[in-house]
Amino acid sequence: MVNSTQQALAIIFPNSYDNEVPSLVNERLMASIPFASRYRLIDFILSSLVDSGIDNISVIVRKNYLSLIRHLGNGRTWDLARKNGGLNIVPPFAEKTVKVYNGRVEALASILEFLRMQKEKYVIISDTNIVANFDFNAMIDAHIESGADVTIAYKEEPIPYGFMNLQPTATTDLYYTLTLDNGRVTELQTNPKDYGPQNLSMNIYLIDRELLIKEITKAYTSGYVYFERDILSPQLNTLNVRGYKYEGYTSRITDMVSYFTENMRLLDNANLDALFGRAPIYTKVRDDNPTRYIGNAKVKNAMVADGCVIEGEVENCILFRGVKIGKGAVVRNSIIMEDTEIMGNADVDYVITDKMVTISSGKELKGNASFPVFVPAYKSM
Amino acid sequence: MAKEMIAMILAGGQGSRLYALTQNLAKPAVPFGGKYRIIDFPLSNCVNSGIDTVGILTQYQPLVLNEYIGNGQPWDLDRLYGGVHVLPPYQQASGSDWYKGTANAIYQNLSFINRYDPQYVIILSGDQICKQDYNDFLQFHKEKGAEFSVAVMEVPWSEASRFGLMVTDENDKITEFQEKPKEPKSNLASMGIYIFNRDVLEKYLCEDEANPNSSNDFGNDIIPNLLRDNRKMYAYRFKGYWKDVGTISSLWEANMEIMDPEHSGIDLFDEDWKIYSRNSGMTGHKIGADAVVENAMITDGCRIEGSVKHSILFAGVQVEEGAVVEDAVVMGNSVIKAGAKVSHCIVAENAYIGQNAVVGAMPGNGEDGVATVGPGVHIGERAQIGPKAMVNNNVKDGETQW
Repeated sequence: MVNSTQQALAIIFPNSYDNEVPSLVNERLMASIPFASRYRLIDFILSSLVDSGIDNISVIVRKNYLSLIRHLGNGRTWDLARKNGGLNIVPPFAEKTVKVYNGRVEALASILEFLRMQKEKYVIISDTNIVANFDFNAMIDAHIESGADVTIAYKEEPIPYGFMNLQPTATTDLYYTLTLDNGRVTELQTNPKDYGPQNLSMNIYLIDRELLIKEITKAYTSGYVYFERDILSPQLNTLNVRGYKYEGYTSRITDMVSYFTENMRLLDNANLDALFGRAPIYTKVRDDNPTRYIGNAKVKNAMVADGCVIEGEVENCILFRGVKIGKGAVVRNSIIMEDTEIMGNADVDYVITDKMVTISSGKELKGNASFPVFVPAYKSM
Repeated sequence: MAKEMIAMILAGGQGSRLYALTQNLAKPAVPFGGKYRIIDFPLSNCVNSGIDTVGILTQYQPLVLNEYIGNGQPWDLDRLYGGVHVLPPYQQASGSDWYKGTANAIYQNLSFINRYDPQYVIILSGDQICKQDYNDFLQFHKEKGAEFSVAVMEVPWSEASRFGLMVTDENDKITEFQEKPKEPKSNLASMGIYIFNRDVLEKYLCEDEANPNSSNDFGNDIIPNLLRDNRKMYAYRFKGYWKDVGTISSLWEANMEIMDPEHSGIDLFDEDWKIYSRNSGMTGHKIGADAVVENAMITDGCRIEGSVKHSILFAGVQVEEGAVVEDAVVMGNSVIKAGAKVSHCIVAENAYIGQNAVVGAMPGNGEDGVATVGPGVHIGERAQIGPKAMVNNNVKDGETQW
C-alpha cells in the first residue's frame, strides 16, 4: 500500500452534470444535493479521499456555490482543517486570469500555479454525482503497478436513461465509455447511445501531476476545453491510459428519476451496508435531537434522520433531518428533505420535497414512480 | 484580557449508585437522552449562556470523559483564549493530592481560574440534567450586589429534609443553611450551582485549605463559613426542569421524561437552547417493513425490525424481528436479538441481548424495579434478568438472575 498522504492530491468538480437535475440545483449545485437522509453528494467523495489518507483537496466551483461553501465550512467535518493541504475552495475570478470555466481544461488552467507548487506525485480528479465509498489507495496501487500515465475508474453498467436522453445543446454534459484492450484504453467514446452493459467512465482520474500540468498548458494555449475529448482521446496511442474497474456499490445521479430510485434503493439494508460499510462517511453536524415518534405514528420501511417529529403514517420513505409529519398525514414512497413540514391529514405519494417545504393540512399530492412530484425549497403548498 | 465569568464543572463523581453503568466511566459521562452524555447539559448551558471558558474537574475514571470532551469542538469550546479544559489532580512541588472534596478541587485549580482574571466564577455540577441560562443567574447575582449566590429549587415540603436547604429573608438573602435537616425551615433546595465573586471564592478556599479539620466541601464548610462572616449571600430561585440523576430509577425516569416534553418540561427540541454533543456520524435510522414503533425516540444508525414502545434508543441500536422493547432505555450499539423481550430497564452501551431472552418486567404486583444491564454484557439465549437485577457479567444461555 502506498503512503497516499504524500502521493496524491485531489481536485473535485462540484458542478458537473448540474444540467441533468435542474430543479434540484435551482439554488445549489450537484455537490450539495441532499442524499440518503443526512448527507450531501460531495460527502461521499470527500470522505472516501480522507479515509484513503488524501488531505489536500481543491474544489473548483463554477456557480450556485453558496450552499456548498456553507456545507463545507473550513473542512473540519472531514478532518480537512489542516495547516498543510486541507480543503481549498476555488471560486471563479479567484485570480485575475480566472473566469467562469466551461470544461475541465479551463478550470485546471486556472489553478496551474497552485498545481506547480504542490509536492504530491499524483492528482486525482473527480465529479460529485456518483455516490460511492471508494478506496483510492487501491486505485493508486493499480495505477503504479500498471505503469499507466492516466488511470480512469469505470463501472460495467448500462448507460443510464438520463444520459441516453441527453439532448445535444451548447451546454450538453459529456459522458464517456471505454474500449479496453488488456486494461489499456484504446478508444474513448463521447456520449455513445449503445445498449447493454458498457465500460462507463466514473469520471475519476488518476494522473501524474507533472504530466497534467504539461498537458493542460498545451491544451489551454490551443483553445481546447475538455480534458477527456481534447486531451485523452486524441493521444490514446502515445499516452498509456488504463481503465480501473470499480466493483463497489455506486449510485449515479443522472436525472430526477435516478435521484429518486438511488435514494430508495438504500431502504434495502444490503445496499445500505454496501455503501456505508467500508469506511465512515462524514457530513456536517446539525446537533438535532433524536427523532420522536408520537401517538399513533405508523412507520414502515423508512430511513429517518435525527430531529424528526412523526405523528402520522410513513411508508417507503427517506426523511431528512428535522422533518415533521403531522397527525393523520399519510406519506408514502417519498423523499422529504430537511425541515419540511407535512401537516395533519395531508396525503403524499411519490413526492420529492426540497428543504423547508410546507404541505398544509388535508392537501393531496401524488406522483408516480417514473414522475415523482417535485416541490421546490421553501415552498408552501 | 479578563473574562467576566468562567465556569468550573465538578465532574469527579463516581456515581456509585449507578455502579453497573459507572464501572469504567465517570458519572458525567453516562449516556443520556438518546445521543447525549450528562455533561452535555452543563456544557451546552455554558455555551448558550455566553460562557466560553470552562474547567472540568475530573478524577474518577476520566478516560471516557477526556476522550469525549477532546478539544471541545462539538460545544464550540475550541477557543484561542479560554475554551474547555479537563483538569485532573496533578503533582505540585509540594506534593500531590487527590481532590479531597469539592472545595479542594477548585482550590487546587485556583491558578487556572486566575489565568483568566474573571470577576465571577460559576461552580456547576456535572451530574444533573437541567436547561438553565446562567446569564439570568449572573444578572440576579449582580442586581443583589451578592458575593455568593446559590441556585435553588422549590421542592415539596414533604421531601425537603432530603436536601441541603437555604433559609432566606423576604429579599432572598440567605440567613441559614440546613443540610438534610429533620425539621426543615425552608423548601428551597440547593442545586449545587454557585456563583462567587472571584476574590471571595479565593479567600474562603485558601482559608478552608489552611484548616486541617475541614472536609473541604462547599456545602459542609465553605457555605457555613460565608454565613458565619455575614457575607452577602442570596438564593436564586430556578423554575425550570432539574433532575439529579444519581440513581438507576431517577436516570430511567429522566430518560422517560425526555419523551414527554409537553408534561415533563424538559424539551430537547428547543432551537434556541440546543444541547450539543459529539455525534455518532451514522446514517439515518431504519424502520423495517414489519417493525412497530410507538411513542419512542430513536437515534441515527438504529435498525428496527421488531417492536419498540415508549423507549429511547441511542445511536446504532439493533432490534431484530419479533423482539419487543418497552419502557426501556437502550444505549449505543446494543443488539436486541430476535424474540427477546426488554422491558422497564436500562441496557447500557454495546450490550447483547440473546434470542428470546427476557430483561426486566413491566411494573405489577407491587414490583417496579428498573433492571440494568451493564456495558458490553452478553445475555445468553432464553436467559431471564429480573426487574431488580443489576447485571455486570455475562449471563449464560437459559440462566436466570434476579
